[in-house]
Amino acid sequence: MSDPLSASIDAAVVPVARSRSGRRDGRAAALLIAPNLILFSVFIVVPVVGGLLLSFTTWNITNGWPKWVGLDNYRRMHDDPLVWESVKTTVKFILMGVVPTVFLALGLAMLINFKFRFIGAVRSLYLVPAAMSFAASAVVWRYLYLNGPGFGVINYVISKFGVTPPDWLASTDWSLLALDIITIWLTLPIATVLYLAALQRIPDSTIEAATLDGAGPLQRARHIIWPGVSYMTPLVAIIALLSFTNGSFDLVNILTKGGPLYATQTLIYYIYVNGFGYGLFGYAAALSVLQILLIGGILFSLRLVGRLVNR
Amino acid sequence: MMLPRGLRRALRIFFATGIGLMMAAPLFYIVAGSLMSNEQLSIQPPQVIPDSLHFGNYSDAFSGLTQVIQLRSFMNSIIFTVGVVGLQWMLCVSGGLVVAKMRFRSRNLITALFAISLFIPVITTLIPTFIVVYEFGLINSYPGLILPIAAQTGFGTLLFRQYISQMPEELFDAARIDGANWWRILRTIVLPLARPATAAYVAISVLTAWNMYLWPLVAAEGGSLQVLTQTLAVIGTSGQGQITPQNVIFASVVIVTLPMLIVFLAVQPAFVRGLTGSGVE
Repeated sequence: MSDPLSASIDAAVVPVARSRSGRRDGRAAALLIAPNLILFSVFIVVPVVGGLLLSFTTWNITNGWPKWVGLDNYRRMHDDPLVWESVKTTVKFILMGVVPTVFLALGLAMLINFKFRFIGAVRSLYLVPAAMSFAASAVVWRYLYLNGPGFGVINYVISKFGVTPPDWLASTDWSLLALDIITIWLTLPIATVLYLAALQRIPDSTIEAATLDGAGPLQRARHIIWPGVSYMTPLVAIIALLSFTNGSFDLVNILTKGGPLYATQTLIYYIYVNGFGYGLFGYAAALSVLQILLIGGILFSLRLVGRLVNR
Repeated sequence: MMLPRGLRRALRIFFATGIGLMMAAPLFYIVAGSLMSNEQLSIQPPQVIPDSLHFGNYSDAFSGLTQVIQLRSFMNSIIFTVGVVGLQWMLCVSGGLVVAKMRFRSRNLITALFAISLFIPVITTLIPTFIVVYEFGLINSYPGLILPIAAQTGFGTLLFRQYISQMPEELFDAARIDGANWWRILRTIVLPLARPATAAYVAISVLTAWNMYLWPLVAAEGGSLQVLTQTLAVIGTSGQGQITPQNVIFASVVIVTLPMLIVFLAVQPAFVRGLTGSGVE
């Protein structure tokens, strides 16, 4: 198991033994990594630290220097009902998306983990959504979800079952689920590939031996396949979490603008609205701190990173 | 109860192919729709096979009253993608070599910093990044568009670090004894040997850059620097759809997506290797 993400976290936590030759490359190393670190610092480290400072100020970018206001933005956040609404929406959006993604990906990976002549072509079909952007998907799914005039493909099929189909993107009950479905579709390829890689490390002979011992498909799934791939689950969950966090903005901004009636206003979108809609950069920065705490909280409470390292 | 082996296999092939076709169905649907007449697109039940092929939709997407795709945006997407991936690649290969093979004090700290950066949502640094770019006077310029994204070196550096650290130590020791400096080692040893990692990296980051929406949206507000995802966002937002015919919209989506689909299918094994660090076929 050696995907770059988890291997690098391992490496960062577990120090590497000093080389036997005992040589030191300090100056050469500094020169060689300088361009990388300088850009990384200016556009990643400085914004993270600067964002934290900015959250204690009010600032309209065109208008002088930021003014220090202490905890005002945080007090305001506490009193703003839309904040808690959008936190709830974010958590709902993530739960309704990440959990199905993990299970569906494992199911699909098991389905395509066998050999036949055209398996390469079949697996390519599962990867197709990975080539599409959130923006392009938004256009496609707007038409698939269409409810009138005239049904799109999805609602046409639903109506054939004698059920009145929902007006997906315009309904407070269904719009968040509609965006979740698109994001699941976009995230499944990567998640499936990761599980497939784990499945392929389980030797065929192990499964054959279990079958000979009389283990049925369910027993094999529970006692061999699940233990064999479960180490991959934290990584899949983290990648899905990031996809649902970052990707949600594109879909919300293109398809629903947070509506109807704030039903799809995730915290990320609310940050964008405050910063670039109202020009409240300080308040948006405070909301960004909340967003980082929220993601950190989810990672921490599920002990995802810890499980990735202590495998 | 057991089905005969042959039948089980046939069922499995059937379901694997069927569900795969469903996964890819939205793409097939958009390609089919891009070749239909508008009349066919508007009838019920929704049509999935074009009656006749209207290739004119594609030229309509590029010109005339129905124009969706500006050549300028197409060029901007290419410049943005090539700029980000090219610059970031150089930073990541050299950075990867440094944290994989060179000995210095703060190595673990730097590696940890890159790892942490992977977990910070882009939006949370969006406003401060915007301010930094604004203060440099780079809003609405190619450097302003490209540099902050090229600076996201966390993933690439760690990918190359991972790959380079598996190269035998003796190779580097021998080169050092022969008097090669690290710049030379980078060019003559690391770059040729790290070609598979480069392929994986390019596959993933070209896709990411081409499909990026949020940063270009705020960094190129003016229009002359618009990239294709913004073009799609405009037609994806309701309202505009009534002005542009649906078949032209579909053709535009295909035009924007096709380059990535070709790139993606061509480099798919590298893409998969880059994600999993293994040889899944």
